[in-house]
Amino acid sequence: MTRERIENGIILGLRITGMIFFFIVVAFPFYWMIVSSFKPLEEMLLNPGNLGLSINKINFKAYYEVLFEHDFSRYIFNSLYVSIATVLLSVSLATIGGYAVTRLHFRGQKVMSLSILLIYMFPAIVLVIPLYVLFSKMGLRDSFHVLILVYLAQTLPVALYMLRSYFQTLPVELEHAGMIDGCSRLGVILRIVVPLSAPALATVALYTFMIAWNEFLFAFMFLDSPEKFTLSRGVVQLADSVHLSKQLVMAASVMVSIPIIILFFVFERHLVRGLTAGALKG
Amino acid sequence: MPALTLKGIFKRFGKVQVLKGIDLEVNHGEFCVLLGPSGCGKSTLLNITAGLFKQEAGTVLIDGQPVDHLSPRERDIAMVFQSYALYPHMTVAGNLSFGLRMRKVPKQTIIEQISETAQLLGIEDLLDRKPSELSGGQRQRVAMGRALVRRPKLFLLDEPLSNLDARLRANVRLELKRLHQQIRGTIIYVTHDQIEAMTLGDRVVVMKEGEIRQVDLPKVIYSEPQDTFVAKFIGSPEMNLYQGEIIHKENQVSFKGNGFMLELKGVGKEIEQGEAELGLRPEDIEIGADPARLPVKVEITSHVGSENFIHGRIGNETITIRVSKDEYPKPGSEVFLKINPNRIHLFRGGLRHPLVKL
Amino acid sequence: MERKSPTFADNEARLAFWLLVPTVTVVLAFVLFPMAWNIWLSFKPVTLADLRGESLLRFNFSLSNYTKVFLDPEFGSVLLTTLVYTISGSLLSILLGLMAALLVHGEFAGRGLVRALFISPYIAPVVAVTFTWSFILDPQLGVINWLGMNQGLWAQPIPFLSQRFWEFNILGLSLRIPLALTSVIIFEGWRYFPFALLFILARLQAIPQDLYHAASVDGATPFQKFFHLTLPQLAGVLSTLFLFRFIWTLNKFDDVFLLTRGQAGTKVLTIKVYDFAFGEFNMGASSALAMVLFGILSIFLFIYFRWMVKER
Repeated sequence: MTRERIENGIILGLRITGMIFFFIVVAFPFYWMIVSSFKPLEEMLLNPGNLGLSINKINFKAYYEVLFEHDFSRYIFNSLYVSIATVLLSVSLATIGGYAVTRLHFRGQKVMSLSILLIYMFPAIVLVIPLYVLFSKMGLRDSFHVLILVYLAQTLPVALYMLRSYFQTLPVELEHAGMIDGCSRLGVILRIVVPLSAPALATVALYTFMIAWNEFLFAFMFLDSPEKFTLSRGVVQLADSVHLSKQLVMAASVMVSIPIIILFFVFERHLVRGLTAGALKG
Repeated sequence: MPALTLKGIFKRFGKVQVLKGIDLEVNHGEFCVLLGPSGCGKSTLLNITAGLFKQEAGTVLIDGQPVDHLSPRERDIAMVFQSYALYPHMTVAGNLSFGLRMRKVPKQTIIEQISETAQLLGIEDLLDRKPSELSGGQRQRVAMGRALVRRPKLFLLDEPLSNLDARLRANVRLELKRLHQQIRGTIIYVTHDQIEAMTLGDRVVVMKEGEIRQVDLPKVIYSEPQDTFVAKFIGSPEMNLYQGEIIHKENQVSFKGNGFMLELKGVGKEIEQGEAELGLRPEDIEIGADPARLPVKVEITSHVGSENFIHGRIGNETITIRVSKDEYPKPGSEVFLKINPNRIHLFRGGLRHPLVKL
Repeated sequence: MERKSPTFADNEARLAFWLLVPTVTVVLAFVLFPMAWNIWLSFKPVTLADLRGESLLRFNFSLSNYTKVFLDPEFGSVLLTTLVYTISGSLLSILLGLMAALLVHGEFAGRGLVRALFISPYIAPVVAVTFTWSFILDPQLGVINWLGMNQGLWAQPIPFLSQRFWEFNILGLSLRIPLALTSVIIFEGWRYFPFALLFILARLQAIPQDLYHAASVDGATPFQKFFHLTLPQLAGVLSTLFLFRFIWTLNKFDDVFLLTRGQAGTKVLTIKVYDFAFGEFNMGASSALAMVLFGILSIFLFIYFRWMVKER
């Protein structure tokens, strides 16, 4: 038995145990979240340790309650509205901004690039409080539009950075050809750069959607009226109501998670590229 | 006992059969060159010898011992990669000593062996530098040094000169030959460059599409190519090769090509009539003014400095002829071929047909 | 003097300006302004009346907020908790990320799916994962406690997220660990290891195969190849990862808040900032503490870049 063969054996053993370990550790919370959401209340109280769930016990009561008795159908709509609005605005502004930083020469170009990343050093809690105070005084606090603006502020720097990196790989000659053919700069952006950047734009859209959809702190601090709650805010509301049972919270959690998980599995490659493309808000 | 024996090596990648039954013996101290176009399997063969790839069938024997079950580490070989594969985060000294360190050789021995090898290759001053700080030529030496320092049974070199510029290549080629004479190691050298093969090899193995076409001394491969592939692959400019047939006319054996007829004086009637391919190397043809010979219509002349080449037509075929640097026939003129009967190559069915001379 | 018609360069600069104005405005308003506000507020003693009235803008410089912050009885422990949380959380997530990257690296069937699964903790919404973990760790209803007691591993349910310390005996030694803090740190590792995984994986895949072949021929065993080839090549990405994770864990609020509300020894700086603002309604102290947090960040960055320059 050579040393190499021994080591290869150990490595194989480590690999298998490692895979099992990670698989369980990563998947279990999600598994539990889903399974618990389908458990009837008695089942959960009597058998908290039951790892499985028999098919005939599956019950959608939790989902029904959450959606209809606790207004989650509205919250879903709110979250969708806020997230999609953020995505549209973020992609548009980051596209033109990214183009400006890449192609157009102006003083302070380098400063811009660096400062984009510095923005991410600021703790959210530090930003939230002054904004809370300011918007309270202005009476603007409980509004979707402010929330969208906040999300824009959070996602624009990275979106811009990602698109800038991508634009740098597009050959300038294409735009020159367009300008010779009679396009204005904006025309060039719309007709040439955007169509060619579809993958990068998709990545930015996905990333922005993920940030906006998952966001908790600002939604928690800013939104007061229940009809304006986003899903994140709604879940916390549900959990804080002590008298409500846990599977409602699990069902709500599943509902918040499903869209983003599905989107992710479908667009896995894009998101992975996007997540590593620039500094990401942790 | 040959240093390396390859028996019946087969290797497939996906659907492609890259090696189709290779048999080869390399003797101790021999500089053996694997020559062939890209895709012929020469690098794969090298990697299998090293133990980096596993063959489907066949055996590799080093010093008569089968090594198929041994990892590269256990085969006592060294390899120089085309990309050099220097460890970027280690200094030159670190790169050179890596193999020795992995085998737990005592530190003093390592230091001695490294400085010896470094002196041999002229890189003593570079020991503290990192690969990124070296030129291409220096990196190449370090790669060679890494192989030399371990004094293995077998040296495997995979196109080590291909990343160097032409002039450097020529210099390093000579150094390699000098090195080989000094260390007397067994070297298996892979290249697609026939000049390298001819100048460096004690023996050349010409490969095509996973098969060995010919194994011989360089001068034999040049003067007696065993098939049309080898004939065309070796020699620059390429051998002139013509399809046609052998004809016995009157008492003379002639070759009927596409639009021309060439008398093969000095060739006996044992050569049967029928289809054949005729090969003539550009330097084996002389031109004269005797109109009794075969006319060549001159189209282009090219000059390399040390010699000139005439590119012309005989009949419907093109021909390249080497002439001295002083001869300069005008395009459009006619010259006449003079062939040395000892320098004709005849092939039938792609394979060499021996000529019996009168 | 004649007016020169705008040059191409002028036009470009002007267009660039307008294209960037929306982005810059949003970012300035929602990032730089609050930052500036914090600086302002921290040096000004602020009362609740101030917030409602106009006196907010009056400048009366004072260090009273900072005094309050530093003299707060909790300050020392909050600082320590934050450092422990930040460093351990970062290291744990990077270590797990490295292990996962080594597992996922290389070709095998179902690789894409496995990778997608491993990234889930990072992309799932924070509310979902925190509540799920709370539920799993719950003393009454949680599956971990139930299984643990059932298998006889422990007798009483362990309140993972609400108890400060936990004593246990192992091999005759009595150990006391900060329970809630440890639970939160483990959660950090779980949630953020995919970030490290992605970056390390990208770097692993960029290492040329040839190097490993050369090492094989040179006689390195698999473990030797890992320590002498792979790890040194990863050094860069690992230190960058530590930089990022440190900054972001230091700044983290959501996770800890949702898991424990900062109770049971998990009060980190960000939670204390929140406490000052919405617990004691002391905006001034809250801003001052925010500045302290920012100060720590700057010190860390300074040390880090100094160290990096030295390494070069």
